[in-house]
Amino acid sequence: MVDSTLLLRFLPEFAILGAGLLVLLAERMGAQRRELFGGLAIAGMALALLFVAADAGLAGLGSLRGVGASSIDAPVATGALYAFSSLGLLFQGFFLASALLVAVALLSRPSREPGSPVAYALLLFATLGMLLVALAADLVFLLLALEVTAISSYLLVGYTRRDPRGLEAAMKFYIIGALSASLSFFGASLLYGAYGTTSLTVIGHSWPTGAGSLASAGYAFLLVGLGFEVTAVPFHMWAVDVYDGAPTEVSAFLAGGTKKVGLFAFFLLFLVPLLLVGTLSTPAGSARESIQLALALLAVLTMTLGNLLALLQKEMKRLLAYSSISQAGYMLLGLAVGTGPALTGASLQILAHVFLKTGAFLVVAAVAALGVGPLVADWKGLGLRRPYLSAAFALMLLGLAGIPLTVGFVSKFVLFSAAIQAEGWFLWLAIAGLLNSALSVFYYARILKTMYVDHVDPGAPPAPSPSEPSLAFDGLGWGRAGAIGLATVVIVALGIYPQPVLSALGAAVQHFLTLGV
Amino acid sequence: MSPEGLAFLALGAVAVGTALAALLVRELVHTIIWIATFFVALAGIYFLLEASFLGILQLGVYAGAVTILLLFGIMVTRRRIFSREAATGLSLHSLAIALLVVVLLAAVASDLAGGSNHTTIHSYAVVDLSTTLFGPYGGWLLLLGLVMLSALSGAIYLVREGRE
Amino acid sequence: MSDPISTASFLGLSGALLGVGLFGILTRRNFILLLISIEIAINAAVLNFVYFAAFSSTAASGLNGQAAAVVLVGLAATEIAVGLAIVLALSRLRGSINVAEATSLRL
Repeated sequence: MVDSTLLLRFLPEFAILGAGLLVLLAERMGAQRRELFGGLAIAGMALALLFVAADAGLAGLGSLRGVGASSIDAPVATGALYAFSSLGLLFQGFFLASALLVAVALLSRPSREPGSPVAYALLLFATLGMLLVALAADLVFLLLALEVTAISSYLLVGYTRRDPRGLEAAMKFYIIGALSASLSFFGASLLYGAYGTTSLTVIGHSWPTGAGSLASAGYAFLLVGLGFEVTAVPFHMWAVDVYDGAPTEVSAFLAGGTKKVGLFAFFLLFLVPLLLVGTLSTPAGSARESIQLALALLAVLTMTLGNLLALLQKEMKRLLAYSSISQAGYMLLGLAVGTGPALTGASLQILAHVFLKTGAFLVVAAVAALGVGPLVADWKGLGLRRPYLSAAFALMLLGLAGIPLTVGFVSKFVLFSAAIQAEGWFLWLAIAGLLNSALSVFYYARILKTMYVDHVDPGAPPAPSPSEPSLAFDGLGWGRAGAIGLATVVIVALGIYPQPVLSALGAAVQHFLTLGV
Repeated sequence: MSPEGLAFLALGAVAVGTALAALLVRELVHTIIWIATFFVALAGIYFLLEASFLGILQLGVYAGAVTILLLFGIMVTRRRIFSREAATGLSLHSLAIALLVVVLLAAVASDLAGGSNHTTIHSYAVVDLSTTLFGPYGGWLLLLGLVMLSALSGAIYLVREGRE
Repeated sequence: MSDPISTASFLGLSGALLGVGLFGILTRRNFILLLISIEIAINAAVLNFVYFAAFSSTAASGLNGQAAAVVLVGLAATEIAVGLAIVLALSRLRGSINVAEATSLRL
């Protein structure tokens, strides 16, 4: 069973696993330097990214290729636990990008802080789970891979074990995660009961023709269980507290990375049945309608409530957390429409969000390290004192609002125009999305006004000095400065010249769709 | 009614009753006794369904290890070992959610009630189960191993007395 | 009267167990009780897998379900260990394992 091709196929995963084990080993052997652990993690992730790019067929990397071109987008064999799709490989790239940004930014945490090896090891294991989700072709495999990510991220949230806020956030995250897992597994057991298999392809193909109540209940449980994972309203309550209490770099990873895994799980679970029903002109059409309606309802609720609550927030981290909830709504919207262009838009939105949201949380981490308080009002006058950092944050906010020249605009444009083209009641989804985007501009603009327009009270005490003034880049440190800079460059680059990514995503989605049918 | 049917009804009633009792009694130590009984009742249902390997697994892992683990957890956080459950009125919406689940499944169950009832229980040899588990579904075990790896590395760090 | 081990009556049992577990997760404030509730909910899923495996149409599909049940048992035990680690770390800091007391985070 174990042969060399098996090793070759999982080169990116082995790179991540190896790096994680090396980090733990180095810690056991007495290493203490954060740079060593960070370097190992970053090297492992970079290597994995290289392997993923090679597998995806990037020109010039042919010699590194581990998965043959013929096994990518090939029909899934019955009973196979995993399969390689070009869309899955692209998502692996997204996940790795988010993890890399966070790993680089973590380098700037205080160097004496305990737990850095564990943080890096857990970050790597969480990433490993994410990579495996992207390959799943089996329901239990999918849920177990999600669980690898989930367990690592609970512990990651609490890794600053002397900080009660972090541990409380970890506890809350753990309870919600366990609830979500038990609902998902219950749903999986019902689907297994209905069709006698855990293969995603078989289940997906059976549902439209034999939509028994057992299977429908199974899908409903999975929808709720995974709804927690992607912070869809009304299963979102936990997210704000967890993002607020976790170390900010970890919040960046949760919002920019692990949440997207749940969305990809949605793709895997619901797309095949949706597509197949579309090709049938049978009573099953009403079943398709009901799933689409459920997803559309989730999407609109999530967008609207997330935005409305974000408007009310006074703390920066909580505001970003609510905005992150609302963004999940746009991604679900693409899934509800379910056409090729809509899915391309949703995938691009996910990619955009990886850089925008991870970047924004990392800026918050950097600003907090400079001694600025947690309230939005505390950021008053930051635009003058920290021009570069503020410019980067302003760009990220504009991107989240969907202003042109950022990747956020491109993704929303593709998504909404796809919804409009799909006709029918999807037009209303597009309108809901547009209205929500307009709504979100309010609170993003409010932050910008605080940073750039509001005057600092002349009688106020001078701005506090950085807690670690010795760090490079004005107290930011190489790690944070590098990660924020990298995110900024990508946001602008993809905003100005999105064609290559857009066409790659479009082709991958097309493969994914034809594979399903 | 068949003897199996009676046994099933009895074990099911015990399982639901002990699960509820475990959550509702006031002394945490009594909770442990109820939950252990719950695990044993489930093991009984597995034996009834001729899944003997799972029955033994249930007894070993749950009735044995998990119960001890929980007891241990109570002892280590001993400041409140015999403490009573803090007054927590039943929050209405959570009760509603729990009921919703039961109603949904009851609807499914009544939908299925008219269908054919199963008669024969299949039993599988442990050999076949293990070749399945280590053969086509080996990936699951590897993933479970990864879950345990990250759980172990993080959990040990959290509870270890650190030099800080 | 129908045979008591019909799918319908069986779903009644596993649904009731899931309901009890959910009820506990949503209302109990003592962390140990929360862990127990999680176990009950996961056991409902394990029970389903075992049941559907026992009445599956082919041996291959039955073994598929039993294998899933075995893996799920292992997963649930791991989750308990992680939960206990978090609660031990927290109780060392706070001296209390009541979720409501320990949580300074707002809802």
